[in-house]
Amino acid sequence: MEHRRKLFITLVLAITLLGSSCWDRRELDDLAIATAVGIDQAEDPNKLLMTVEIILPQNVSTPGGGGGQGPASLNIQSQGTTPFEAAKRLTFESDKRIYFAHNPVLIFSEEMAKKGILPAFDFFIRDPEPRRTAWMLVAEGKAQDLINVQTILDPITGLYIEQLIESTGAASQIATLMVQGFLERLMSPTTAPYCSIIRIKGKENNKSMELSGTAIFKKDKMVGKFDYKEGRGLLWVLGEVESGIITVPCEKEGNIGLEIIRADAKITPAIIDNTLKVIINITEEGNLGEQECPIDLTAPEAWQSLERKQAEAIRQEVLAAVKKAQELNADVFGFGEAFHRKYKALWKEQLKNNWDEFFPDLEVEVLVEAKLRRTGTTTKPAVPE
Amino acid sequence: MFNLKKLKFLQFLISQKPLKGQQSDKGQGDKRHGLTANLKRNITILKDNLGTSGDIVYHEFTMGTEGRPDASLIYVDGLVNKTVINEFIINPLMLESRSVSEKCGIFPNYNIDVIKNTLISVGGIEKVSTFEELTDSCLSGDTVLLINGLTEGLVISTRGWQTRGVTEPDTEAVVRGPREGFTETLRTNTALIRRRIKSTNLTIETFTIGQQTKTDVAVVYIKGIVNPGLVKEIKKRLKSINTDAILESGYIEQYIEDAPFSPFSTIGNSERPDSVAAKILEGRAAIIVDGTPMVLTVPLLFIESFQSAEDYYSRPYYVSIVRILRFVSFFISIFGPGVYVALVSFHQELIPTPLLITFAAARAGTPFPAVVEAIIMGIAFEILREAGIRLPRPVGTAISIVGALVIGEAVVSAGLISASMVIVVALTAIASFVVPPQADVGGIARVSMVFLGGTLGAFGLMIGFLGGLIHLCTLRSFGTPYMSPLAPLKPLDWKDVVIRFPLWTMITRPSSMGWNNPQRQEIAMMPAPPQDGEESGPAQK
Repeated sequence: MEHRRKLFITLVLAITLLGSSCWDRRELDDLAIATAVGIDQAEDPNKLLMTVEIILPQNVSTPGGGGGQGPASLNIQSQGTTPFEAAKRLTFESDKRIYFAHNPVLIFSEEMAKKGILPAFDFFIRDPEPRRTAWMLVAEGKAQDLINVQTILDPITGLYIEQLIESTGAASQIATLMVQGFLERLMSPTTAPYCSIIRIKGKENNKSMELSGTAIFKKDKMVGKFDYKEGRGLLWVLGEVESGIITVPCEKEGNIGLEIIRADAKITPAIIDNTLKVIINITEEGNLGEQECPIDLTAPEAWQSLERKQAEAIRQEVLAAVKKAQELNADVFGFGEAFHRKYKALWKEQLKNNWDEFFPDLEVEVLVEAKLRRTGTTTKPAVPE
Repeated sequence: MFNLKKLKFLQFLISQKPLKGQQSDKGQGDKRHGLTANLKRNITILKDNLGTSGDIVYHEFTMGTEGRPDASLIYVDGLVNKTVINEFIINPLMLESRSVSEKCGIFPNYNIDVIKNTLISVGGIEKVSTFEELTDSCLSGDTVLLINGLTEGLVISTRGWQTRGVTEPDTEAVVRGPREGFTETLRTNTALIRRRIKSTNLTIETFTIGQQTKTDVAVVYIKGIVNPGLVKEIKKRLKSINTDAILESGYIEQYIEDAPFSPFSTIGNSERPDSVAAKILEGRAAIIVDGTPMVLTVPLLFIESFQSAEDYYSRPYYVSIVRILRFVSFFISIFGPGVYVALVSFHQELIPTPLLITFAAARAGTPFPAVVEAIIMGIAFEILREAGIRLPRPVGTAISIVGALVIGEAVVSAGLISASMVIVVALTAIASFVVPPQADVGGIARVSMVFLGGTLGAFGLMIGFLGGLIHLCTLRSFGTPYMSPLAPLKPLDWKDVVIRFPLWTMITRPSSMGWNNPQRQEIAMMPAPPQDGEESGPAQK
């Protein structure tokens, strides 16, 4: 009896544990690793065109191994009414299963973005394979043209774009968002999503690409675009400025470049005299990066005036972004959420459903506290006196 | 778990056929008998018992001058020290007895005590009166003296055979530490331990096991430190062994171990007197078997595999890093190929993109699935290893060249096996040699993990890992939980697990050993330079 019970328990354990295990074994050589996915509007208005860049591992050069001849990646395309259908149809062209888990960039054409990306977006959220850490991008023009560009710096276009996005922090003029972040904003009743814009640069045989700004969405539709200045204005408010140069003019002629070291921001909603008001407190620290004018800036008065100029420059950038956002009526800053957190009752009763009416007329006050810390490795300007 | 019916059938078979040893012993009755006063008759019985092997010498002679008693020396040629026999036994008995006997009148009223006490100048003489004792000591290298007219014989200790010297052991090599290793001779080995522990409490208890081999087995422990229950249990288990041959300590190990069905050994072995001495000093007991330099120590803890004698001779900082390295290596040696196979054939999303591309480039064009590759390479490695051990030394170099070229280079350039798999297998192979005591387990576990990883992915690896962990936690070695002090958790013993604490912090002996005598040293032992006002060494101005 004891014996049978032991056997029974062992069997039950074996079946329940092993039976539920990973059955979907797939060899690495049976996978086509996708490194860029582009969604375009197909000629048939009901269909979309999916362009996927897949890696050809045998052509990827490895140190010592040499690597084969020919391109390191291949672009394949298919059409479908939904992305999932198109993805499945990709196998008509590829002898391997398309593997989305490593896809670093998801590119929508501007046309698609303006029409609304929601129908095409769901697959990339729901399916377990594509990651939510992929970067969202809008392509000026067609996404397929962009993916077709042969980049020289990195033979794999998708990885090249990923690197472009990940190094935006150096200038902090373009706001970037992953699929996850985009989704969070998309699901908020008021906060507007945004993502980077990318475009082809150069002509015919000398094509390259560059990030050209930040696309602003209203719900799932792209409504406008922030340029570099407005882009940094947005990042100031979000507190996501990592580094960059603030250029302020000298007293007479020439410019002074100030490097941003760290920055932070705080949004305080307030209701003053029955009007909604938002106070943005920005604290920033910078270094003197370069100067063209022959003034000794290490003198305390000059230093303080420079700090004031720096603060004013930041304020202008933020105000430009706010102005543009209010024109587009897209709350990319998350002011609505701030009011929601502070004035819950009021939010429920009045603001929530009428935010589109409140937002364009919102009074915004920008307070900047900017500090300068160091002058670099020299205290005197490198200019003849 | 064994089928009881089968066991009973086995017992039935055994009861029908007595063990070979008992069967071949002719003249059992005579053997038990005592000696007679007739030398001739005694010799005949002895010859009957011992047989007529060429190496057994029956040396008959007459003591003293004429009319004095006949005597006979029986010994095994090659096991005895001839000089001792010639100078200190035959010489006094044949020649010196003449002058002695005339003055003192030993003969004709001789008796065994007079001869034992006055004539033979050899240390270690015993009186024996049965044939059984006689033959046993004769075969162990002692010399037997029988004298006509006496019903007792003398066993004279003349053991002295060709032995290997005390050399540096090949296993457990150290950079800093003694170079001595155990030898094949039991007495030398006990001496090596006693030289390190000059304590009156060091106890060496000897047993004889094996009906044919009559192997000497010694249990060594320190009274007062060892848990008395442990010694009792060891003796009980040793006494229960009833077999014809004990040729190596591995025989003993397999007869007395706690978990014969586990791949993990629950009895430790060492070739180093210093590490055995250290283990005895912690409250363990050692079992030394004549004929092998491998000395057993019980109880064994899992973590002992990760400790080396040198850990305690070097300063603790680097040692602790090396300890961690050993744990990591052990994990690599078990999970290396399994994890690689699971990642490459199930969980490609877990690999960073650039690495995945490299893997994919390496795997492009190879004909086998990753799991088959891992098995092929695993088998190839085991073949190489085994061949390297068994082949004669001069051929061994050929093996390494062929192995390095064929396995390392050719399979990759021929496109049979991916380069990344070769790297994984090579790394695993090297890692498996970092923890030699668990190398056997590593081999078995590695194969299982490749199967689990290749069929069930990371889930299978988790099942394998947890199964192994549960199994380890169920093991006991002579009453001590195998995973102690990890499980059951004994924080006080953690001073010697992952991080080797300085020696002056190791105040207590390991509590896992039963803690008969917990305190090892004084509490305030931390060395420090003298403070102001204290007496200092060299005068400073």
